[in-house]
Amino acid sequence: MRFVIIGNSAAGVAAVETLRRLGGYRHRITVVSDEPAGAYSRCLLPDLVAGKRTENSINLRPAEFYRRLEVELLAGVAAVEVRPREKRLVLQDGRELAYDRLLVATGASPVLPAVPGTELEGVCTLRTLRDARRLSALVPRVSGAVVVGGGLVGLKAALALRQAGLGRVTVVVTSPRLLIRQLDERAAAMVERELINAGIDFIYNARVKAFAAGPKGRLTGVELEDGRELPAGLAVVAKGVRPNSGLVEKAGGKVGQGIVVDGNMRTSLEDIYAAGDCIQVTDRLTGQKVNSALWTLAFEQGRYAAANMLGMARPYPAPLTRLNSARFGGVDVVSVGNLEGEEVLAHYDPLSRTYRRLVFSGGRLAGFILAGRVDGAGVYTALVKSGRPAWAYRRQLLEGRVGSVALDLLFKRDKGAHNSYE
Amino acid sequence: MPKEVLIRYDRCLGCRSCQLACAVAHSGAGSLLGAVLNGERPRARIFIHQAGGHKAPLNCRHCQDAPCIDACIAGAMHRQEDGTVTNVGGDQQCTACWMCVMVCPYGVIRSDADGTLALKCDRECRDEKGVPACVRACPTGALVYDEVDEYSDKRRLDVLNRALSNL
Repeated sequence: MRFVIIGNSAAGVAAVETLRRLGGYRHRITVVSDEPAGAYSRCLLPDLVAGKRTENSINLRPAEFYRRLEVELLAGVAAVEVRPREKRLVLQDGRELAYDRLLVATGASPVLPAVPGTELEGVCTLRTLRDARRLSALVPRVSGAVVVGGGLVGLKAALALRQAGLGRVTVVVTSPRLLIRQLDERAAAMVERELINAGIDFIYNARVKAFAAGPKGRLTGVELEDGRELPAGLAVVAKGVRPNSGLVEKAGGKVGQGIVVDGNMRTSLEDIYAAGDCIQVTDRLTGQKVNSALWTLAFEQGRYAAANMLGMARPYPAPLTRLNSARFGGVDVVSVGNLEGEEVLAHYDPLSRTYRRLVFSGGRLAGFILAGRVDGAGVYTALVKSGRPAWAYRRQLLEGRVGSVALDLLFKRDKGAHNSYE
Repeated sequence: MPKEVLIRYDRCLGCRSCQLACAVAHSGAGSLLGAVLNGERPRARIFIHQAGGHKAPLNCRHCQDAPCIDACIAGAMHRQEDGTVTNVGGDQQCTACWMCVMVCPYGVIRSDADGTLALKCDRECRDEKGVPACVRACPTGALVYDEVDEYSDKRRLDVLNRALSNL
């Protein structure tokens, strides 16, 4: 069989590894990627900009990965058309690839606001290695930067720019506080304090009106809707991403909040599968259809897609689509599931400087936030994911004594097996 | 058949010998006295907890479809030939992003003292016979390092193995 994979990040790499692990070496695998070289860790791009890591050290797999797994990597070339009836893929350079099964793992692209000046030199995003290189090249030439967006990518970019030596970094946030999708007020304030200590300024409740150009077509500043103008030679736009679903859509495939796939990662087009940031998934908790857009999910979807492409029916369980971990200075944060629910319990532990917020619905843990120290976070995540009754554990969970909870869950779960031996 | 650290819960007294042995085996000095004299604070990767009336150790199960491997953004978490799941000794370095901490259902991946590395059972503590330090230290035989199938064949299984790997 001939497998072709479009995309070479989390989902693509996981698919390659799974195809080989479960399917052996009798199949042909070709990976097409518009990125110039091998896979890298997208989440570590801020570290690259900060100068804390080199390009080599953010490679996701070693250089010999493709040779060792006998994968043909066509790097630096985009796929431009899928012809599902002919089972062929057309590349930018005119080449055509025949496939038996195709995996679309095209990822997502940053959303740019519909305001004047986004095309200026100096207006950047931080999504690809190219973006990171461009940012790094601009940093020494400017004195100040504006980051548009108070989400995870924006804040990591802002911190990275400060660490790279930029004197003035201002984050413009539409919402009244940062990380509005991940944190509550208390946790957001903890993160904000770390970032302010790192020398970052924040402007809340503000929107960008335009990116202003100087005489040479370079960015000179960012104009806000309220009339303020922030001088800056560099702006990073971090307003979320949009799934790259165009290839499948053009070929007649179904697209919603991303490429629509069934429980076995199949698109509506025959023998075409999709995984990663380009697809739509159903949130496990809310039942809402949303864009996938998480590294962890992309990886597991790549695995599931590969197994299904090999003909092993592996249904993909509805994932948690809110699942984030990040660290800002001395504050680690983990945020999973719903931010609001029937019962909300919150507790700040001054000893470990840790804030915990638990959201219960119907006696089940529907979401949580940990800020400060996050050891044991996975036990909370497992409770959210499993939907088991958790109200009885509320004290332990609130105080961070989760080891006993994990153990109790094991005992309960295994009562049957426990009694059947010895 | 890969070996695993199996637990006979009815034998565990909660004496924390495993915890101490694990921490010492993973210390720079390699001995308790040496570690203390060096000013180290050795960190364990196996933990004794109490649930109901029982005390029992909790450690990494080296899961089949390990969520920590999926979640690792650096590509550091990987599975070795013998089945061991570890974030050290591979091609990439742990970046302390705590994604693995966020998804481990047992809560047995923790940060190091400086918050720069995720620590977990890496089986780097095995002696010349290949026995992990926690198993060697257990005075009641509550910890067993054995091939999973062989062990269940002996029908002495108090091990919860399947349940553990599915949680």
